[in-house]
Amino acid sequence: MNGQYAALLIALPLISAFFVPLLKGAGKNAIRYFLIAVTALQTGIAAWVFQWVYSTGQPIIVIAGGWRPPVGINLYFGHFAALFVLIVAAISFLMAVFSLRAIEVEPIDKYAMLFLLLMLGATGMIATGDIFNLFVFMEITAISAYALTAYNKTGEAAEASMKYIVLGGIGSSFFLIGIALIYGSLGTLNMAQIAQLAATMDPTVAQVGLALIIFGLAVEAELFPLNAWAPDAYQAAPHPVTVMFSAFVVKAGLYAMARILYLMQDVGSWGSVLKLLVVLATLTVIIAELAALRQRNVKRMIAYSSIAQIGLIALALALGTQSGVDAGVFHMINHAIVKAMLFLAVGYVAMTLGGAEIENFRGLGRRMPLTAFAISVGAIATVGIPLFNIFWSKIRIILATLQVGYTWAAVLVLTASVVEAVYYFRLLHTIWFEGDGERIDENIVIGLMVLFLAALVVVIGIYPDYAWNLAQKAGNDLFNVAQYVKNVPLMGVGA
Amino acid sequence: MLKRALAIILLLIVGYWLAQGLAGVPFGQDRMLVAQYYLDNVKQQTGAVNAVTAVVVNYRGFDTLGEVTVLFIASTGVGALLWRKKKKRTAKTEGSIVLTTGTRLLVPFVMLFGAYIFIHGHLTPGGGFPGGATIATAFLLLYLAFITYEIPHKGFEKTEGLAGMSYVLVGLIGLSIGGYFLFDWIWQTWNFGTENVGRLLSGGFIPIIYTIIGLKVGTELSGIIDNMLKEEVSE
Repeated sequence: MNGQYAALLIALPLISAFFVPLLKGAGKNAIRYFLIAVTALQTGIAAWVFQWVYSTGQPIIVIAGGWRPPVGINLYFGHFAALFVLIVAAISFLMAVFSLRAIEVEPIDKYAMLFLLLMLGATGMIATGDIFNLFVFMEITAISAYALTAYNKTGEAAEASMKYIVLGGIGSSFFLIGIALIYGSLGTLNMAQIAQLAATMDPTVAQVGLALIIFGLAVEAELFPLNAWAPDAYQAAPHPVTVMFSAFVVKAGLYAMARILYLMQDVGSWGSVLKLLVVLATLTVIIAELAALRQRNVKRMIAYSSIAQIGLIALALALGTQSGVDAGVFHMINHAIVKAMLFLAVGYVAMTLGGAEIENFRGLGRRMPLTAFAISVGAIATVGIPLFNIFWSKIRIILATLQVGYTWAAVLVLTASVVEAVYYFRLLHTIWFEGDGERIDENIVIGLMVLFLAALVVVIGIYPDYAWNLAQKAGNDLFNVAQYVKNVPLMGVGA
Repeated sequence: MLKRALAIILLLIVGYWLAQGLAGVPFGQDRMLVAQYYLDNVKQQTGAVNAVTAVVVNYRGFDTLGEVTVLFIASTGVGALLWRKKKKRTAKTEGSIVLTTGTRLLVPFVMLFGAYIFIHGHLTPGGGFPGGATIATAFLLLYLAFITYEIPHKGFEKTEGLAGMSYVLVGLIGLSIGGYFLFDWIWQTWNFGTENVGRLLSGGFIPIIYTIIGLKVGTELSGIIDNMLKEEVSE
């Protein structure tokens, strides 16, 4: 089949989202099952793209409108994009199934549209090869995220969404100014051509432009001074949406940041931007872990833990070396699986017992053993205990950090891991050794999903080679810019 | 006071820093790398006389599809957040006779002009977004002048969905005919209107897409107005 059909990854969620209003008369369940069908189909297409890219070793370049870049816009499904588009689609599919039970608040048709468009936005951000197109997809992601955050229509949801909108709006404006500066100085928006011309760029313009772009993306990527919206939004959003935030929305932001950063590595002032990012990432880890320590609401606690892990990924991506990028990508994969499982299980508990306060988790091991088991696996994996997947990625990140010579960053991050262990083991203690209660019937479908994710965690933990291999290829896609430029069929306009 | 002073100092520093960056992009210097290509080839490649719409719909049509989606999300989001089981308009004062009569006379003209803008997107300034916004203005006028006016919801929602779907469908037809998503099959495969550049029946799929966008934007903005003007009523 023609590689251009990978454009369906964008076209399918779009056309399905536009179709939902026509389906409105058919009833709520029709819309819910439609959502599941679309995400399943999307997963199928993503799996096809993944299989294609990893078996041929060549990226799929989708050329929109038949205009070769830089005149037109291209999508770049390299090793990274193929892998993460599959992760996005698969997690969306699981969440569509979860939404069957988790979403009772009206209007369900609007929820389905926003859900599909959130998935579309993340897919587009990961796949695009054009810097302005990246902005458009970032807006799609962000605006559907604002609406979904406030979807529960409670006071705290509205407040969380408000914070997110204000910060996100400022962030996107900065991002747009950064794009304008780069376009003004180079006259092109295509990422490959920017990378080609980066060395010729005025260093001051490049530094200002790059810093503005990083600053703008930091809101989506939840880096330290700009992540105040995140814990509130994670806590207040509907449970499936929280999973999507943590599993891929923030990853898309991180990826975009890393991609633009590495595209411009020929720029004179590159090193100073990297240093800034290392400091921000380390601060993100420490502050989020310390904040998580005091939380009484488990969903909020895990939200802080998720932010801390994101900081760890950002640290790895900001090291500027091949091994750092590989480790960061590996951690992205692992974190997506573990946090999807944790938020899914915690969301299920909150749904069944009415709230995610820590009191509800007393004796959970007796009341909901399957869910409690999943939370335990997730907690132990996040702390980074051997035989679980995060152990491997965490240790690789620490090693990569030491290689570059940032001993202080490695020490601080490891100290933060101790804090992390404290609150996770406190949670485990509450679940297994406190309180007691009657057995509650657990939903079999959600149980299966949780078990599947837990199995992935353990399998990657015991046989990390396959996943590590994927991560290395994907990391190479990010780091090796010369290869990226060579793969994009540039037209030679103005060269 | 201290807060304000600090904010001003911070803004000055950021402003100076931005100005430093901007100084590296001097005004008036030729930086047209890709832009020159557009100017040189726009007529024979897209059939549009208006280079902006050719770039927006044809060369970089993918972005426009995204922007249409952003607007769709905005209207869906407003709909989701303001959703109530029963909503009604609660306006109290009737407009004066001058206002209502004026509106009656004006609305058809505003709509006609909106349609004119989006149909002539490839020839004159404007296009789908301004045209759609003009049409929504006509509905805003109706809402403000008459206390009981409501748009026909069912029809509007369906039009919005159908218009969005047709945009993607036009792109998918391009994928199956020309091999690329959003490929301009009307111009490049059928050669429809190639001897007609500068007249109404030319411009490949630009007028078609702009009509779709115009309908979509018009219905969406009207829907947002409708959602925001209504309040919950208890049964």
